[in-house]
Amino acid sequence: MSSIAAPAKSALPRSRNVPSSVITLGGLVALIALWQFAVTRLHLPAYILPAPLAVLKALWTGIAVAPSSPLGWYLPLWSTLRNATFGFVIGSGFGLAAGSGMAESAVIERLLMPYAFALQCLPKVAIAPLIVIWFGFGDGSKIAVAALLAFFPVMINSFTGLRAIEPERLDLMKALSATRLETYRLVKLPNAAPFIFAGLDMAVVYALLGTIVAEFLGAQRGMGVVITQAEAVTDVAGVFAALIILGALGMVLHSLVRLAEKRVVHWSDRGQNQGGRA
Amino acid sequence: MATLATSQPSASAGSADETSQPLIALRGVAKTYSSQRHGALRALDPIDLDLADGDFICVVGPSGCGKSTMLRLLAGLDVPTEGRIRLGDKTINGPSADVGVVFQAANLLPWMNVRDNIALPLRVGGRQKVPEARIDALLEMTGLSEFAGRFPYELSGGMQQRAGICRALARDPRILLMDEPFGALDALTRERMNSELQRLWMEARKTVLLITHSISEAIFLADKVVVMSPRPGRILECLDVPIPRPRSYDTLVTHPVYAGLAREIRARLTQAEARP
Repeated sequence: MSSIAAPAKSALPRSRNVPSSVITLGGLVALIALWQFAVTRLHLPAYILPAPLAVLKALWTGIAVAPSSPLGWYLPLWSTLRNATFGFVIGSGFGLAAGSGMAESAVIERLLMPYAFALQCLPKVAIAPLIVIWFGFGDGSKIAVAALLAFFPVMINSFTGLRAIEPERLDLMKALSATRLETYRLVKLPNAAPFIFAGLDMAVVYALLGTIVAEFLGAQRGMGVVITQAEAVTDVAGVFAALIILGALGMVLHSLVRLAEKRVVHWSDRGQNQGGRA
Repeated sequence: MATLATSQPSASAGSADETSQPLIALRGVAKTYSSQRHGALRALDPIDLDLADGDFICVVGPSGCGKSTMLRLLAGLDVPTEGRIRLGDKTINGPSADVGVVFQAANLLPWMNVRDNIALPLRVGGRQKVPEARIDALLEMTGLSEFAGRFPYELSGGMQQRAGICRALARDPRILLMDEPFGALDALTRERMNSELQRLWMEARKTVLLITHSISEAIFLADKVVVMSPRPGRILECLDVPIPRPRSYDTLVTHPVYAGLAREIRARLTQAEARP
């Protein structure tokens, strides 16, 4: 898993005549056409690759039921979303606290940094079985794995962002005899916000990943359970449909973070035109 | 009056009053920066300098002449390795509310609007209630009233630095330190800002120490021009500017003393550069 994400940059220059959404949609249509072609012409069996229509049908069956039906997407989706969100909030909170502690105190940095990096190199989903042993098969283990995965990108990015402060801004606060807390709250934290949001952006997707992995290992409900159950009866179309739902969920969560970022870090990319800094 | 405390104290011309104590007195102030990688670096050789209440001092000199170091010491951002700086009857060894700093290129916080940027000095350092009337008066004085809610990236460089000056004045300090405040501005904006600064200074009568690279800016603004030389930084010369105020750029260059002063400052600077 990557460590430090650069603060989000604005979109690439668009191509001149065709709107970018047309290109994206065109690609999707082409992919589905190719998929349909592969299924019908190469005679792939449905347990390898179901036809697009079969996936669409599976998707619709889950949508067209009452929200409380155990056959629909709604209950498992809600469970996964809730656990991922709790995990994201808890993991990010601890990540920000740990990153701030390391950035502000040399002692804490020396204490945590080597282990943070060592853990960073460990594939953290490998810890998931252990967490299931500790927290059981209920929601606790899902939240814990999600939090564990969300923790690291936020911690590393907060630390990097808080350290990436322009010395002039610290001089300003020093000249005003500001306290450490004031400097942190009024200058360092907002200054680090673009970095922190880049970390949150990764963390929200990782939290979802962690929840699904924990659900694979054993759970009563959730999208991970839906996938394993469909897989058990080789309902590959059902697996595909669940993946589409999860992909959409991931996109929604990512967009929410980006939306929050745009509201909070409105100055980023535009605040750099103050002379003296490139 | 700024006087170079040489062998004959207060020998310089003008209204130097031997009985009145200078507002700021630097005595044998030197600064050596030591780093593990580069060893010791002498930024400033011992200097003596007096600033009287209400003086406008401009410091000119090439890069590395210690002028920024001197400003940092006066601002209490650094502590001198030798000598001492007195402000009134106190020794400066840290930041003081009596000193306001105007930074290069304004140094506004991009996440705060103009009003919040200006109010910053009143919010921090254990202060509780921000006196809104004071902010309004500062905004009014610099013509920023209608931009109070704008963010720095929505302002021109000149307006940003106006806000920077307001922020430095927020605590109503006696001394204003300005570190190449208009260096990032185009020539015309710079002249306009200089005229405004002169007006502000004539109204508020702060003691100002301004660092600049521009000889004409120094002559336009200063009562005294301090010329410094690099490696290590020291004061070469301290020149009076006997041009009456309010000064105007329209008439400045044709004033009889302007050409001579500019030539003298330039000669000093060239001489400083040529030295090995």
